[in-house]
Amino acid sequence: MHRTWRLQAAAILLGLTAASAPAVQVRPQNAPAFPVERYQLRNGLEVILAEDDSLPLVSVVVAYRVGSIHDAPGKSGLAYLMGNLMFQGSDNISPMQHIHYIEKIGGEFNAMTAYDRTMFFQTAPAQHLALLLWLESDRMLSLSLSPASVERSREALIEENRQRLGGDPHLSGAQIFDRMLYGDYARAHPLSGANEDLNRITYQDVVAFHRNFYVPNNAVICISGDFRAAKARELVARYFETIPRGLRGPTPPPPPYEAAAVSQTLTETLASTPGFHMGFRFSALQPGDIHTLGIIDYLLLQGRGSRLFRRLVRRDRLVLYLSGGLEERAGVHAYRIFALVNNEVMAERSQKTIAGEINRLKTSLVSETELQRAKNMFRADYLGRTSTSLDKAIYLVDHYLDGWTFASPVDDLDKYMRVTPSMIVSAANRHFLTEKTVLLNIRIR
Amino acid sequence: MMRSHPFVKAAAACLFFILLIGPAEAAGQERFRKSPPAPEPLPELRLPPIERHTLSNGLQLAVVPRPRSPFMHLRLIIQAGEVDSPENRPGVAALTAALLNRGTAALSAADIEERIEGLGAVFQASAHMDYSSFSMTFLEEHLDDALELLKTLLLQAAFSAREVESAKKAMYYELVEKSRDPEFVANRHMFRLLFEGHPYAKIAYPEEALTAVGQKDIAAFFESFYKPNNAILVLTGNLNIGLASRKVSHHLNTWASRKIERDFIPPPPPNKKLRVAFIDVPRSRDAVISTANVIMPPTGADLLPFLVLNHVLGGTTGSRLFLNLRETNQYAYYAFSETEFFRTCGVFRTRARITPDAASPALREILQELQAAVDETITPFDIEQAKAFLIGNFPLRIESLENVSRRASLIALFNLGEDHWNRYYDGMRRVNLNAVRDVARNYLQLPPIAVIAGSRDRIVDTLRNFEVVQIYDAKGILRSTIVKGVEK
Repeated sequence: MHRTWRLQAAAILLGLTAASAPAVQVRPQNAPAFPVERYQLRNGLEVILAEDDSLPLVSVVVAYRVGSIHDAPGKSGLAYLMGNLMFQGSDNISPMQHIHYIEKIGGEFNAMTAYDRTMFFQTAPAQHLALLLWLESDRMLSLSLSPASVERSREALIEENRQRLGGDPHLSGAQIFDRMLYGDYARAHPLSGANEDLNRITYQDVVAFHRNFYVPNNAVICISGDFRAAKARELVARYFETIPRGLRGPTPPPPPYEAAAVSQTLTETLASTPGFHMGFRFSALQPGDIHTLGIIDYLLLQGRGSRLFRRLVRRDRLVLYLSGGLEERAGVHAYRIFALVNNEVMAERSQKTIAGEINRLKTSLVSETELQRAKNMFRADYLGRTSTSLDKAIYLVDHYLDGWTFASPVDDLDKYMRVTPSMIVSAANRHFLTEKTVLLNIRIR
Repeated sequence: MMRSHPFVKAAAACLFFILLIGPAEAAGQERFRKSPPAPEPLPELRLPPIERHTLSNGLQLAVVPRPRSPFMHLRLIIQAGEVDSPENRPGVAALTAALLNRGTAALSAADIEERIEGLGAVFQASAHMDYSSFSMTFLEEHLDDALELLKTLLLQAAFSAREVESAKKAMYYELVEKSRDPEFVANRHMFRLLFEGHPYAKIAYPEEALTAVGQKDIAAFFESFYKPNNAILVLTGNLNIGLASRKVSHHLNTWASRKIERDFIPPPPPNKKLRVAFIDVPRSRDAVISTANVIMPPTGADLLPFLVLNHVLGGTTGSRLFLNLRETNQYAYYAFSETEFFRTCGVFRTRARITPDAASPALREILQELQAAVDETITPFDIEQAKAFLIGNFPLRIESLENVSRRASLIALFNLGEDHWNRYYDGMRRVNLNAVRDVARNYLQLPPIAVIAGSRDRIVDTLRNFEVVQIYDAKGILRSTIVKGVEK
């Protein structure tokens, strides 16, 4: 699932009007209906409750507004490392016991670090809600950090990076392309850091990072599933209310936009197939652009019936592998395409075909049938985002972190569905500019 | 006027002080933080009934109502899998399944893809040992379109030479790619040896076998088995059996039945003597050990005790194999065990990804853990922990429409009984130590087949302390045998 899609799509199905608002239930066409309650503790922790008694399960997601954009220059990977350290134990829970507690009761857990957020999530039998809150509150309050635990996690992450780079011959190319597309260090450096940077991170860096960001006033907790709201409120207050507020680091502003087209060539030593990355970095979006660009993405690249797949893979057989889509990194939007091809001639022809297809979007109105295919796929993916209690909790947390746009009501999905052929022409002309093309050709040795 | 006891006054003052400064500071740490909270009582599991109906053409229809979901899931099971492929044509079942959506008499593969995407759906097809399955998840308003598409695929199937060659090529290269993964290689070779001489061995075909399959083989397989009286259709979502019967009947009533002819397949015998085999995966950094033996089919009373036994041995990272091989001995990246069920039997297997140098001691530890389970080292505490996991985890495994459909289709396919999943909680609660020890004795007493897959240069010499080790090349051909340390 690519980023912008998820983040933007997550917005606004739920019509809440204020913090601590009473539960409301709204169901646009096919949208799942579920009541949501939202309030804030005195220490600034945002709480979201979404009851659903379909199955005796409960999901708890705790998210901190911190990610790789907060890594200091020369210390890339700090946010990712911090996410791993959250499993190293706390005052009342020994290292890795968090995982064992969840597994013992038949639950599942995971964690995720992104550019601007870090999430910890677990789903378990409903009767264990208090246990999940106890586990999450203990590491929010009293994470055990030590030089030894930092060293262990650093070594594991360095090894993980080595394996990742060794196992994916096109990863280093993707990282170079990130730098070309986004330009600034904050958005372009790899999430899990460069190994030389990881070696520069000190124990003091970790402690300061934790103190700044892993605090209730920089966090949101969402409980979704089979529980009673009154009981959940009581438990959240019990476990989280007395955790003291902390500092909260600033988010870097988006860098100034640079319009120049960039083109580079990289010779890959590990890869056995040549290819290319192609992208467009968008200037600030206007209201409604995100909906149109979301549909353009489905017309252009999502699914085997999309224009680029039909042309490059199926009809002209120029491309062996094709992926990409619309993405967003902390407020900056871009579009990226990655293709593997047989040789450089194919690469050049593919790039011309892509340029031609983008030009067609700018100059011809898309047919109703084709537009409907894109919208149907989009709608199914959108609604699929709330399929399980965990999906729903992540959806709500993303929605909150993206600003919980109360001014826009429940019709977010309808906004995508109302995109017209002429809106597509307009957005394509404003955002897919030739002078904004970023290209990285990958040759093999 | 009553006078307070001095101690009461002191306590009250202390309480006031605590309230003033807040509980966190007062206690240093609040008492409730020191130990995990007790769970609430186990809530009732209200599972939707599986509603069943058989249409006039013999198609079995099963519906699992999920009234709150905007999606529906359709799952078609054809009761023919790799075991039904012709003797000298393994892979026919897999290719037939892969080709169902690759063109009809009137529609090209691209047309079908666009129709599926037009429904916002994704089509998945796969062939298993005893059956082939096809599934789609779509928004509920597309039910008629989805059924109409299914009808087109089934009634106008056309296996064009071009698509057959394209599917064969894709599947061939997929298998070539997978053959670099020692886990895939170990698993495939394990099935090859465990089912040697039995029709189930067809599931372990090498990629070269696909070259022998022709268009006629696929058409004949389709004609023999893709019939309504050999199929189960499961619909999950916001509908009931009445509505589903009407709609399915409307779209699929012209799908004609036909007598299905297939040979009787007896259950394969279990392995009776330890058999250690090595298979080469050139340049592999890691090694994988896979052990397996035949167990009971999923229909009897032994199922739930065996699931508990499996969990104790290797169900999660807290189970014996993982703790032994990874945490204690640091031989493995992971080590688990699992069950897989077919129509006539089940298979219990372990799998461990290890550092190549540790192949020999790691295999010995796995064999010792299996023996320890037979030797009654499993305790009531182990049993209760495993049951807590299996009961707690059950709702998670039926949360998605896809998973609930898959389970419903297996209940129908293996005749597990209408109330199979409603009996799960009670049945699991009743599993006791004796039942688990009984299944351990009955099914783990016989030594397994053990396959080690990895780079020959790094592993073979370390295995010489086993009495007999068969050495297979990367193609799965027996090249030599080590007997008492000497390679012959």
